[in-house]
Amino acid sequence: MNALLRILSLPAQLLTKVPGLGPFMKVLSTTVGQKILMAITGLSLCGFLVAHLGGNLKLYAGEQAFNDYAHALHSLGPILAAAEVGLFATFALHIGLAISTTALSKVARRKDYAIKETKQGIFILPNGGASNWMMLTGVLILAFLVTHILDMKLKANPGVDYSVATNAEKVIDNEFHAVKAVLSTPLNAVIYITGIVALGIHLSHGVRSALQTLGINHKRWNLLLKIGGILFAWGVAAGFIGLVVWAMAYKG
Amino acid sequence: MVRVASDTLNSRVPDGPLQQKWDKHLFDMKLVNPSNKRKFSVIVVGTGLAGGAAAASLGELGYNVKSFCFQDSPRRAHSIAAQGGINAAKNYQNDGDSVWRLFYDTLKGGDYRAREANVHRLAQVSNNIIDQCVAQGVPFAREYGGTLSNRSFGGAQVSRTFYCRGQTGQQLLLGAYQALMRQVSTGKVKLFARREMLELVIVDGLARGIVVRNLATGQLETHTADAVVLATGGYGNVYYLSTMAKGSNVTAAWRCARKGALFANPCYTQIHPTCIPVTGDYQSKLTLMSESLRNDGRVWVPSSKGDKRAPDQIPDTERDYYLERRYPSYGNLAPRDISSRAAKERCDAGHGVGETGLAVFLDFRDAIQRDGEDVVRKKYGNLFHMYNKITAEDPYKQPMRIFPAVHYTMGGLWVDYNLMSNVKGLYVLGEANFSDHGANRLGASALMQGLSDGYFVIPYTIGDHLATTKLEKIADDHPACLQAKKDAEDRITKLMGVQGKRSVDSFHRELGLLMWEKCGMARNRSGLEQVIGQIRDLREQYWKDVRVLGSGDTLNQSLEKAGRVADFMEFAELLAIDALNREESCGGHFREEYQTSEGEAARNDADYSYVAAWEFQSGGAEPILHKEPLVFENVKPSTRSYK
Amino acid sequence: MSTHLLNLNLRVWRQAGPNDQGGFKTYRLNGVSTHMSFLEMLDVLNEQLIAQKEEPVAFDHDCREGICGMCSLMINGQAHGPDNATTTCQLHMRRFKDGDTVTIEPWRAAAFPVLRDLVVDRSAFDRIISAGGFVSVNTGNAPDGNAILVPGVRQEVAMDGAACIGCGACVAACKNASAMLFVSAKVSQLAILPQGHPERNARVINMVAQMDKEGFGSCTNTSECEAACPAEVSVAHIARLNREYLRASIFAET
Repeated sequence: MNALLRILSLPAQLLTKVPGLGPFMKVLSTTVGQKILMAITGLSLCGFLVAHLGGNLKLYAGEQAFNDYAHALHSLGPILAAAEVGLFATFALHIGLAISTTALSKVARRKDYAIKETKQGIFILPNGGASNWMMLTGVLILAFLVTHILDMKLKANPGVDYSVATNAEKVIDNEFHAVKAVLSTPLNAVIYITGIVALGIHLSHGVRSALQTLGINHKRWNLLLKIGGILFAWGVAAGFIGLVVWAMAYKG
Repeated sequence: MVRVASDTLNSRVPDGPLQQKWDKHLFDMKLVNPSNKRKFSVIVVGTGLAGGAAAASLGELGYNVKSFCFQDSPRRAHSIAAQGGINAAKNYQNDGDSVWRLFYDTLKGGDYRAREANVHRLAQVSNNIIDQCVAQGVPFAREYGGTLSNRSFGGAQVSRTFYCRGQTGQQLLLGAYQALMRQVSTGKVKLFARREMLELVIVDGLARGIVVRNLATGQLETHTADAVVLATGGYGNVYYLSTMAKGSNVTAAWRCARKGALFANPCYTQIHPTCIPVTGDYQSKLTLMSESLRNDGRVWVPSSKGDKRAPDQIPDTERDYYLERRYPSYGNLAPRDISSRAAKERCDAGHGVGETGLAVFLDFRDAIQRDGEDVVRKKYGNLFHMYNKITAEDPYKQPMRIFPAVHYTMGGLWVDYNLMSNVKGLYVLGEANFSDHGANRLGASALMQGLSDGYFVIPYTIGDHLATTKLEKIADDHPACLQAKKDAEDRITKLMGVQGKRSVDSFHRELGLLMWEKCGMARNRSGLEQVIGQIRDLREQYWKDVRVLGSGDTLNQSLEKAGRVADFMEFAELLAIDALNREESCGGHFREEYQTSEGEAARNDADYSYVAAWEFQSGGAEPILHKEPLVFENVKPSTRSYK
Repeated sequence: MSTHLLNLNLRVWRQAGPNDQGGFKTYRLNGVSTHMSFLEMLDVLNEQLIAQKEEPVAFDHDCREGICGMCSLMINGQAHGPDNATTTCQLHMRRFKDGDTVTIEPWRAAAFPVLRDLVVDRSAFDRIISAGGFVSVNTGNAPDGNAILVPGVRQEVAMDGAACIGCGACVAACKNASAMLFVSAKVSQLAILPQGHPERNARVINMVAQMDKEGFGSCTNTSECEAACPAEVSVAHIARLNREYLRASIFAET
């Protein structure tokens, strides 16, 4: 474990030596700094989710509207590519930090307890609530993300018939049909709903946790923040699940 | 009878008017120049208010300090458990307080058995203490507008007590601890936690070092320095059951006493009136409920004997608010010794409450009706919580049951005005010395004295010693060091070698019970004479039958306790001898033969207006009594009245 | 309050020294009064062990009134046992039932190595305080206590943090063995009080650096520390530490 840690911390250590970047990296090489970066990247990804959901809601507006939106997006060209690189980097950072801080925490415990119980109230999820499921839900989300990119971006899911969406004669893909093709197979529906539920759980702790890490905590607003975080998490999840249900039910 | 030394002790109190003694003395003392301070080293044993403050302040001045505590961290010292507050003569409440009034109250509270000049100095520096602590970030309670709050405390008619909820001792200690840790970070103080002092090293009549046992590893270590400061607290655990921390002990002080330091007034023990009563024979300690509770709680017992009704079933007309009855002007805020004895008197008369009949009620009904539960909760929430934890009773709904318990010891190693014992270079601070509280300490004065000694007395007085004394360099292999280390080693070997049948705790309990019954809240000649014999027998049995398992080379808590109890066994006898010698009642020392017709303590100024400082004699011989006559130039001792 | 007697099975971690492997040993203890504190119950166990010529169980304790922070113990997987806002010394046996098996372990963290049985070394906390948990004011150079006004309500928040007893339950209970609650309690207290302001930037940076150096884990905001804290220190102090840290990282002069 220690060796693994050393390897993982190598890039960070090298970066602290870069002039200009050094002090910044020093801050981020502490546990608190890392958590702050974790929070910032997490919240950025939440921003992406909102935009993504917002765009996808166009599905309800019908084939034409959605395809127009998709084509407009794709026509951004280099801007879109840059955004995608940024998005990828944010994901990578978030995941990398998750792995390194979790590894560090395992080392910090050294030896596990024979019995460990929570002292907090009752949780819907066992084992002390969503905060103790972040790694598992994170891994599920990552797996889902890979599937999702294969399905939607690369259109490489062998179980899906993309023929209605990609037509040799057509210059432009019909994204509306592609989405529908992917989401309407029962297996995919299950995969998507599982992934989205994992996302909901992840965010139900993640949003509030990120705010706390950024120092946003005030007795007067805490209840609001807590409810707001959970509403956001399940609002986003419900939005995406709604699309899956829509696709399953869509006739035409 | 008692062997009395021919010459009296010199307290080295400076001449001049009382108000100017300290200032004049500050000027008269020799200074160590700043660049020379780094050439001197000082050992400070104990990290409570006195020891922590001393080590930090000496480090700040530039001395090389070594700080020792037996706990795992300096922050655990038992000063932390002080609840109520700390006195100072700030007169922020504009209620007529002054340095002189604080001085007068403290001297009177101590039943005129303290040294005038020391008490006055204490009152003088009290204000600096508050300032210092505030600057350190101690979160004293404050008013809405931001000024410091005060509350009143036993034995005073002004509000001069500063407090941090019910955790004043904790906050003051953490302030001192943080100052100490700051010096540790600068390297001026070296910290040695989990070390217990076992011997004092004396070279050419000067205290020059200590032998400690590293409690984590069992190793004995010798540390040398140019002076030794002892701030090791009181000896209340000689009674086994007390409000003291389990680890509090007399060993460091007693080891010094065995090496010639005089032990003064050991019979002055304070029994605190408001503690949670004993429930069973497994009981390991007693828990104090802060005296501040008496600001709002009313003490009572049923008027009729053996009334076993639930408290809320007893109408007001059948309640005896005995403190208010006997002491109308101070009422529930009568000083500790007086309140304790009044509780004992009621219980002895058959009015006690609870299963054992050894308790009285402390009732918040009226305060809750007057101010509301929220106000009471804000003031005392943590104390009520603690009471509820221990007894499973809710003090918001039913009165607390309280009973007196050993809480503080006014006696300690004898020191002069500079806080130096008769062994040159050995300074004694805080509860470990005898100097400021006379025969009874007022509430919220212990914290004041500890911090006064540590922050504002020792930094100056130790310089005078270092500047004026020829101090040869000595190393760990000095014959005196080697001898001290060997003595410590031999004792451990001897303790481990007994291999008897009884545990250390069983002996300690037995000793405690003897002391509580014969030398506790009330004492008399025949009981004391009897108990001295019993202590000797028990001690003899101890060395024949104690069982200490394991080895001396590891963490061994039985061995730690065994050494402490062995010293308590010797010290207890001295305590009883002192109590027997003092044929008067004063403060916490109550001799049944000497009381007024109303049952109040009858002091005998003609014969006992002196400090009794005892010199240990080896081989079981009787100790020798040295007297320091108490001179009252400014306040005429009167009969203490709180009526 | 009536007395009951319990018969218990105690599963206690025994470890001869820092380098020993250690393991559980089970003891039967009969006739435990419900009025006993948990530590008094261990006293009784130790008396029984001594009578059987077995070395007593080593455990840290001192004041036994819940303020010194020396007692510890993981009791059935909970730091300081099942009660909230309670130290082990204030935990009473009335919380247990006849026939219960009670598992007792030491605090477990790389930064708190076991010295023997249930005793751990918490000097890492001292080193963290030493890194900046103080106000640099030498004895004697303080202004009058009322010179700087601090609103009562604000001072109360500082006191909430200052109430920390340094027992280490937060570290023990945290799945990451993070010391954030402990560190933040001090950072927060001194960040709220004006007396702590001159050093606030360096304080938070240095204390966090020392915390990391000691090998504590990072905070994932599970709030388990707050639930385990006998002094009821809130995770709001952790948020304040985070704010202080951000502030210091961005605005500090050096």
